Amino acid sequence: MSPLLVGAMSALAVATTLSLYRVLRGPTVFDRLTGLGLVGTKTVVLLLMMGVAMGRLDLFIDIALSYGLVSFIGSLVLAKYFETGGAQGEGP
Amino acid sequence: MSAAAGVLADGLLAAGVFFVLAGVVGVLRLPDFYTRLHAMGKCDTLGVGLIVVGLGLQHGTFHDIVKMLLLLLFVGLANPTSTHALGRAALRSGLRPWTPPGREDRS
Repeated sequence: MSPLLVGAMSALAVATTLSLYRVLRGPTVFDRLTGLGLVGTKTVVLLLMMGVAMGRLDLFIDIALSYGLVSFIGSLVLAKYFETGGAQGEGP
Repeated sequence: MSAAAGVLADGLLAAGVFFVLAGVVGVLRLPDFYTRLHAMGKCDTLGVGLIVVGLGLQHGTFHDIVKMLLLLLFVGLANPTSTHALGRAALRSGLRPWTPPGREDRS
């Protein structure tokens, strides 16, 4: 495991934690969804790096692909849901 | 793997981490939802792409590299799509874009 890879993994972990600030504190629900999207893409990259670090890249690529698919579909569904105001029904 | 490919892969990895961190700083510091979406959509897609190409150059077998390219294609399609869906949802639900102080008359 090269030092550059350790540094990159640490930086991505810090970035994921910082993105959670936007999820917890976002003034609107769309800010929270933005933070969730950031966490999703960073987790995909972090899974690939974990695969390199553990020497099982073939396994971790499949996990990263599945996680990316679930995160993308969840983001789309939540955006569609809140487009019309969510449970309050305040949309156009 | 030649030494030049290793240096190139290290450079791509470092550049990708830089762009991802820039995207996080943008999402944390910019003033409203649409500007934050701007930071998230571009910086994140580019950062993930650079990191995936760097990792594939350095560590992958042929089988892994093909799957990584598919992952890259998927991220390149999915990230702009979800960004667009979020922006459209916010606009249709009535969220007004931010304008600088003193220039509200232009909105």
